[in-house]
Amino acid sequence: MFSKLLVANRGEIAVRIIRACKEMGVQTVAVYSQADREALHVSLADESICIGPAPAPLSYLHQDALLSAALATGCKAVHPGYGFLSENADFADACEQNGLRFIGPSGQVIRQMGNKDAAKRTVAAAGVPTIPGREDLEDIQAARKAAEQVGFPLLIKARSGGGGRGIRRVDSIEDFDHAFREAAQEAKACFGDPGLYIEKLLEGVKHVEVQVLCDTHGHVLCFGERDCSMQRRRQKLVEESPCARLTPTQRRALMRHARQAVHAFQYEGVGTLEFLLDAQGNAYFMEMNTRLQVEHPVTEMVSGIDLVKWQIRVAAGVPLPFQQKDVVSRGHAIECRINAEDPLQDFRPSGGRIDLLHAPGGPWVRFDTALYQGYELPLHYDSLIAKVIVHAPTREEAIRKMQAALCETVIEGVDHTASFQSQLLSEPGFVDGSYTTDYLSQREGSL
Amino acid sequence: MISKDLFRRPNLPLETLGREGDKAAVPEVSCPGCKRRLPVDELAANLYICPRCRQYHKMSARARIAMVLDEGSFEELDEALVSRDPLRFPDYRHKLEEAGKASGEREAVVTGLGRVEGMRCGFFVMEPGFMMGSMGAAVGEKITRLFERALRERLPVLGYTLSGGARVQEGILSLMQMAKVSGAVRAHSDAGLFYLAVLCDPTTGGVAASFAMQADIILAEPGALIGFAGPRVIEQTTRQTLPEGFQRAEFQLAHGFVGRLSPRESQRALVGLLLRMHTGGAA
Repeated sequence: MFSKLLVANRGEIAVRIIRACKEMGVQTVAVYSQADREALHVSLADESICIGPAPAPLSYLHQDALLSAALATGCKAVHPGYGFLSENADFADACEQNGLRFIGPSGQVIRQMGNKDAAKRTVAAAGVPTIPGREDLEDIQAARKAAEQVGFPLLIKARSGGGGRGIRRVDSIEDFDHAFREAAQEAKACFGDPGLYIEKLLEGVKHVEVQVLCDTHGHVLCFGERDCSMQRRRQKLVEESPCARLTPTQRRALMRHARQAVHAFQYEGVGTLEFLLDAQGNAYFMEMNTRLQVEHPVTEMVSGIDLVKWQIRVAAGVPLPFQQKDVVSRGHAIECRINAEDPLQDFRPSGGRIDLLHAPGGPWVRFDTALYQGYELPLHYDSLIAKVIVHAPTREEAIRKMQAALCETVIEGVDHTASFQSQLLSEPGFVDGSYTTDYLSQREGSL
Repeated sequence: MISKDLFRRPNLPLETLGREGDKAAVPEVSCPGCKRRLPVDELAANLYICPRCRQYHKMSARARIAMVLDEGSFEELDEALVSRDPLRFPDYRHKLEEAGKASGEREAVVTGLGRVEGMRCGFFVMEPGFMMGSMGAAVGEKITRLFERALRERLPVLGYTLSGGARVQEGILSLMQMAKVSGAVRAHSDAGLFYLAVLCDPTTGGVAASFAMQADIILAEPGALIGFAGPRVIEQTTRQTLPEGFQRAEFQLAHGFVGRLSPRESQRALVGLLLRMHTGGAA
């Protein structure tokens, strides 16, 4: 095990990692920007080093400063948390070149996943379904044939396109020829390349993801799925496990796909495979996140396995002592991300001094935060300030527990989203589990 | 701000394993060649050559003895001979202690008598874990005594050189070891006795400039850095960029400083053959 570890992050995730290290007897070094002098992770770590001014590119994203801090304090490993440099292949390489273990996959694997197209092709070759589409459209006859195979509705997209231009939605074969010609003309005019491809349009889909944990000895564990469909502008607000709308057969298929994909990449560490789930329960691979995720506690609650500790242990070469059959999901867990944003003013970020803080408590209620009473919340960084996680035998009971916990959560001094989430959890679309990724945008439209 | 002192530190030892009842975590090293981590025991089983990229890792003196000499044939000499701190060099005593702990050796060279494929010889091997095999008065004295012993017993000498050079902490006393050992090598040579050296990574400085290059036959391990001043020093002094592979064993072979490259897998057989061919009366 590493004797000392540098936590290259801030906020609640830095606190989460330091806690895991304390339990394992690993010494910790916190890094902080000038705006974070008074942050909790700084006080909680064994040592702390200021790495630069408030803007993240000058501090938390400043690779040389982080490496110097790690080497000067005699660290053996670097934990990047999530965000910042957690999926930066160059940083992973730089750590290894300096004799520091980067807690995550190798730079090579991160790079491979960063290229979404190539990653999709790799998993498709391993037999995992990806969003259906066709790229080999020689002429309009071939394109028509391909379109019928893919099925409607579909999208025609420009091969060299971007920014939403050159995209046509087609609902039936009658409209196809016209839309295809138009799209080709527009593509040529905009991008100088009339090349097009078609992709099935997935509507009313859920965002479902599978947590994996792989050691350096070839063992792969797939944990139960998380439903992260409650999103506002692609930002997740509520996550739960298991997904309320997945049948056991569909779940088995999802786990099998996750396993195939992980083997295709020869993955190491913790990671998350993201899928889109259509109304029929078909899962399509989207991408893989090569890091710890914000919502990892949901999986920890249902599996009883401390993912952060195991992430560090497998990085240290410890073989996983359990097998797939030992990974059992029990009950239901829900997480609400409390953001310092004002829901009444289009979720504008809010900063200020925390005048009063009361954390929710009781059995199977977890509150992950870096807040403390009297803390001055800086505006420079992500607005996530706390995560409330609950666990109960059934989904119904978990929703009740979350409602009670949210009402008990008092954070005064900044605007935050807890009451908004409390409202969401009481809406029929959440209660029956049918919500999809466009739930909040449709809801906003209807307000 | 919450004062650091407010949180007490849990008095927990560093965990050494995953869960109760598991085997302890396997110690690993990072390969400088391919940057991958590999278990130490796997590396040791492969003669300290990376199984993925064939990078040669440094071998401790004891691992060399096990690799080259006939089992149980090694008889160590002068094991208690160690360097003191004649110049009262700052921090030197502490460094010696640390080096001893890190390597398990008392000095940067191990000398003795042993057999290779039945051929008896004087044997010395330098220890990378002890200040990277640097040569102080004790190292020079041990090697000198070995050559003198070999001369008395009319034995060939097989030496494994691995050193950053003379030990700065002993100043001029280190440098004069070059002359002293060279004298003993000369006397051994004048008596018609055979000296075989295997140059390991790195063989530089005062060691390269004396007994490493005085052998009758000079072998080198693939990829070993061999030279007087290292490439970084030369680049900084001459302000020129040096060619790829400069001063590596392959480069020195092409320029006539090394007789042959000797991969570890076949090294014992080659060394044994050379000792047999060059030891008077044994053939």
